[in-house]
Amino acid sequence: MIRYGVDVGSTTAKIVSLTPELTYRVTESRNWETLLEGIPANEIASTGYFRHKIPHKIAATEITTAIYGVKEYLNDPEVIVDIGGQDTKVTDVRRNNFIVNDKCSAGTGAFLEFIAHYFGLKVTDLSKIHHKAAHTININHTCSVFALSEVVSHLVDGHTIEDLIASIHQAFAERIAQMIPEAEKIVLIGGTAQNRGITISLEEILKQEIHTPPNPQIINALGALRYGEEKEE
Amino acid sequence: MKMLGITALVPPEIVFACGFKPFDLNNIVPTSTTRPKNKLCAWTAIWREQIMSGELDLDSLVVVAGGDCHNALVDGQRAAEKIPAFYLFYPFDGNKEYLKSQFERLSLFLGGIIDPGIMKTVKSVKENLMKLDQLRSQGVISSELGFQYLISGCDLQGDPTAFKEELSRIPRERGGDLASMHRVALIGVPPIHHDFHREAERLGLHIVFDEMPFEFIRHTGKNINELAESYADYTFARDLKYRFDFLKEELGKRRIDAIIHCTQFACHHVLEDGMLREHLQYPTLTVHSDLPGPVPEQLKLRIEAFSELLWRK
Repeated sequence: MIRYGVDVGSTTAKIVSLTPELTYRVTESRNWETLLEGIPANEIASTGYFRHKIPHKIAATEITTAIYGVKEYLNDPEVIVDIGGQDTKVTDVRRNNFIVNDKCSAGTGAFLEFIAHYFGLKVTDLSKIHHKAAHTININHTCSVFALSEVVSHLVDGHTIEDLIASIHQAFAERIAQMIPEAEKIVLIGGTAQNRGITISLEEILKQEIHTPPNPQIINALGALRYGEEKEE
Repeated sequence: MKMLGITALVPPEIVFACGFKPFDLNNIVPTSTTRPKNKLCAWTAIWREQIMSGELDLDSLVVVAGGDCHNALVDGQRAAEKIPAFYLFYPFDGNKEYLKSQFERLSLFLGGIIDPGIMKTVKSVKENLMKLDQLRSQGVISSELGFQYLISGCDLQGDPTAFKEELSRIPRERGGDLASMHRVALIGVPPIHHDFHREAERLGLHIVFDEMPFEFIRHTGKNINELAESYADYTFARDLKYRFDFLKEELGKRRIDAIIHCTQFACHHVLEDGMLREHLQYPTLTVHSDLPGPVPEQLKLRIEAFSELLWRK
């Protein structure tokens, strides 16, 4: 019987159970085995890049599990934006279509980690810093490395780190906004969705509310659990 | 027999009739490990690189330049520094007289027709390929096996008689499991990954239509007039509405569930994606490939997710 949903992505691994209330644990992907100690494979529904590698009874891609996971919190989501460590997936639930960034990491969690590392910050601090910004500046480069070069040149010109972080969030959100089709109910999930700087920027660009479920980083693991339960029936 | 490199749809009927052996340069690309120095599209850059290095030993080259691939036009001109080249231009408006004059010029470039009778042989091989295409659509043979022969419809592997023999020996063994899969049309350029059809089938997608190979096999004729008449409808060279209308009818006949739109990174065909989606109205997965090799993990994820979403319908 499926009792656990496990999402091992490129950056983090998550395990979720609902017995009886929601509990979860998160670790770095390279330590995924520690999450599964003592759990038999036939109780696991898996997702994420490692879905076929880890012990499991049922596996599904993150695109499917995101739909199941989001529906735990929101009826009839139209578009799900899942910002992962190394890719961003935009699923149009209405049309059964999805797109994934292909040749570039500029709109993914890896980009924000790259920027945070440069400034000697934790990714989790970016949101707080964003709120202290007075202005934003246009960041024109779409490539992560060249965007950082541009940020450095703005730093040299005397702009504050706070303004630059907010500007990076703005550039990040603009990149993702290009992938999102018109919809009323847009949901943002994935670890990056915890960064309010990103959701605020996205809401400003799209001029609409963006829904973010609680614990957006575990939505795919939760969806894997629900998907596994359904397939078992 | 002299070897003629061709870069897409060049009538093999004319090539054989002029005493040349056609060799579709694109067919070396999916398994190639060549990494070209200067490229937009890996297809054209790889054959250009191999011609320039002498790895490909050809007597002449025909570049399909007009109405198909503009990268080929440029890379073909570079390759022309090594071997004689002819540039074939298909008409955008389907003008048969214009195409006839192009084919006459092509014949002259190849030294003139010396064996007109062979055109009839090529035509009969293509008729067999059309039957093979139907068998694949009916689930009698796998996507991969069918594709392997259909893609050779452009050069008949250099020998129409031997190729026809080989076609008659194809085992017809598949059945049940293919019937339970989603029926998928592969639109655009053929995938640059050599195991694409196998992987798609493993992930639950039965590819029952390959746009470009279907163009290779459906055009034929026994003389230049008939060839011009038929090849003038080469949809890749025509306006998009003409091409999409043709596809709409063909996909309907084959009871397609979904489309995979294969594009190359930095290729102008990427721009067609939005129009294709609007016009054909099927669930569509767009693939942006770059270098050849086996299907990369990122792409497998997309195919698997697409297959899962189709089950949600």
